[in-house]
Amino acid sequence: MIERQTIETDILIIGGGTAGCMAAVEVKEKFPQYKVTILEKAHIDRSGCLAGGMNAINAYLNKGETPESFVRYVRSDSCGLIREDLVKSMSELFEYCVKKVEKWGLPILSDENGDYVPRGRWNIKINGESLKPILAKAARSAGAKVYNWITVTNLLTEGERVTGAVGFSLRNGKLYVVNAKAVLIATGGAAGLYRPNNAGDASHKTWYSPYNTGAGYAMGIRAGAEMTSYEMRYVALRTKDAIAPTGTIALGAGAPQVNAKGERFMVSRYADIGGDGAPTPYRAHGPIQEIKAGRGPVYLDTRGISAEKVTDLKKAYLDMYPSQVLYWLANDIDPGAEPVEVQTTEPYIVGGHCQSGYWVDVDRRTTLKGLYAAGDVAGGAPFKFVSGCWAEGVLAARAMGSDIERMEEKVLVSEERIAAEERRAFGPFENHAKMKHGIKSSELESRLQKIMEQYAGGASTYYEMNEEMLAIARKKLADLPQEVSGLVAEDLHQLMKAHEVIDRIDVAQVLVEHMAYRKETRWPTYHTRTDYPERDDVNWLKFVNSVRDPQSGKIVLMTRPYEQLVPGDRYKP
Amino acid sequence: MPVWIDPDKCNGCHSSRQPPCLRMCPGDLIVKDHSVNKAYLKYPEDCWDCLPCIKVCPEEAIEFHLSYQFGSREATLAPHIHKDRDFITWDAVDVRGKKETFTIRTKVMKIALDEQVEDSEQGLDFSI
Repeated sequence: MIERQTIETDILIIGGGTAGCMAAVEVKEKFPQYKVTILEKAHIDRSGCLAGGMNAINAYLNKGETPESFVRYVRSDSCGLIREDLVKSMSELFEYCVKKVEKWGLPILSDENGDYVPRGRWNIKINGESLKPILAKAARSAGAKVYNWITVTNLLTEGERVTGAVGFSLRNGKLYVVNAKAVLIATGGAAGLYRPNNAGDASHKTWYSPYNTGAGYAMGIRAGAEMTSYEMRYVALRTKDAIAPTGTIALGAGAPQVNAKGERFMVSRYADIGGDGAPTPYRAHGPIQEIKAGRGPVYLDTRGISAEKVTDLKKAYLDMYPSQVLYWLANDIDPGAEPVEVQTTEPYIVGGHCQSGYWVDVDRRTTLKGLYAAGDVAGGAPFKFVSGCWAEGVLAARAMGSDIERMEEKVLVSEERIAAEERRAFGPFENHAKMKHGIKSSELESRLQKIMEQYAGGASTYYEMNEEMLAIARKKLADLPQEVSGLVAEDLHQLMKAHEVIDRIDVAQVLVEHMAYRKETRWPTYHTRTDYPERDDVNWLKFVNSVRDPQSGKIVLMTRPYEQLVPGDRYKP
Repeated sequence: MPVWIDPDKCNGCHSSRQPPCLRMCPGDLIVKDHSVNKAYLKYPEDCWDCLPCIKVCPEEAIEFHLSYQFGSREATLAPHIHKDRDFITWDAVDVRGKKETFTIRTKVMKIALDEQVEDSEQGLDFSI
């Protein structure tokens, strides 16, 4: 018998991360009458993407920039297709959010005039080693009630309305049922769909948080929410082995990319689209083509930078990715004397860098009544990074607050529905008790990652794919949902791991359909279609969206029009 | 093994049910063996190298090692939080034994040795 804990709240926030914490504060400030509950998968002080820290705010309007100039930049960086309304609305709140977090204690580097020190056109430097606990404290102090270690397994829905969520506690094993007037999904993106770069005890040495496993996407997919642009995967250019961000070096030390022959290939081959400043997909695509052509390895050329700059680089990494510094120490590497080798990561689905996620309106309402999305899980607005996630949290908070003012009674779902979710959530426990040869989550994970790696544009095929490969991926993935019924879990930690795989299977199936549907190559490497190698603005300047029918489970694809709000050449920053 | 808790230094944060390292691991990878009163990394293959566990250990009992496939295990990197919690100093020793330190501004939040889990009967003990 599973013990049950029922929580009544006005606003439920699933995921106490970058967007979730900021949303909680905004609700409590603007609508103090409402009860805010956060369900957090780990401990809110150090969960998710920001656990290790952050050394820069990478989306900020430095002096002379405007929301319009930001939209133009993000549009060209995303190869001419974004939701301009979403990108503009978040940029209008960058300053509001950053000033707030500075007030909460985040050290931000300022010059003698009190202006933030830029690290690039859209970036400012911070000492963000403790950014996550700073945000967590603000959310708690504002009056949000935080439940740590709750793995949320599904949304509760009644008709078209989302009425709450169900999850289990990793600590006491109880089933948590939360009834709410509005639900914000802010769980982050999805890592672990593809094989990671490293094996053994470094298999989680990924760039994106390995604990962000697409739960928020999967819950929405299962509930029938409309999703957008999954095919715009994110493949990150990162330092070799340590998988640390390269912006710290490229922007911090002005280091260009060079191939094994010392050629500045971005300049020689991609001059027409900006050379080293080419759109982000090309800065991953360029080096991949060098390696494919036998001109690898590829480096960021840091040779000749001053000792002072090297120290700055190390300090910046210590605020965010300390293992990069340990890597240099262990391999006797002085980045001022030898170039830093780079590589690309496995593909991630992440709406904060690219634009895969929930299809939302400008106030971050999803297509399901009562459900809002912010941060990496929300689609259509790339280049969010930390500050854009904050901004979306604020926008969603304001929408939730004003929407529920007009709401009369809370809608409650039937006991039958909750009991069904209880059975689904704890299924792997039961299996463990009765099955001799149950499937471990790690085994199912390997099977998923093998399919995605080999047939759905993994690193081993240089991220390339065609119709036939995707058809095989589709066929092989179709076997996995029934495999889930054989998953076993011995304890609560394993039960969490089981759900992480279940969720990723749902996300992977939608991803493959999106990649098969868009018959062009708009974002090379993110989505390289060898059978449709060119960009095709005549037929594909539009969004690919999908809905999985909650009854039949069929994934239906559709397109939504692109709307240009900011005039100008879409391919020029 | 990326993160290693030295059993000679770990005191289990006394009677804490959930020591800070265990609570701050975003992957729920650290557990406390109450029979010997020590914490350990139960799932090293799932470690992200993010280091909150190291930063919050009051005994500085947790060591950071590079996964061996990446290079020598001899190099070390250890953070020390200043008493005022406004700075963090990293001691870095390279593979040849050369030492360097880096002091960086920060804003470290206070952390208790134990914390009550919602809706749980388990005891809570802050005593040292």
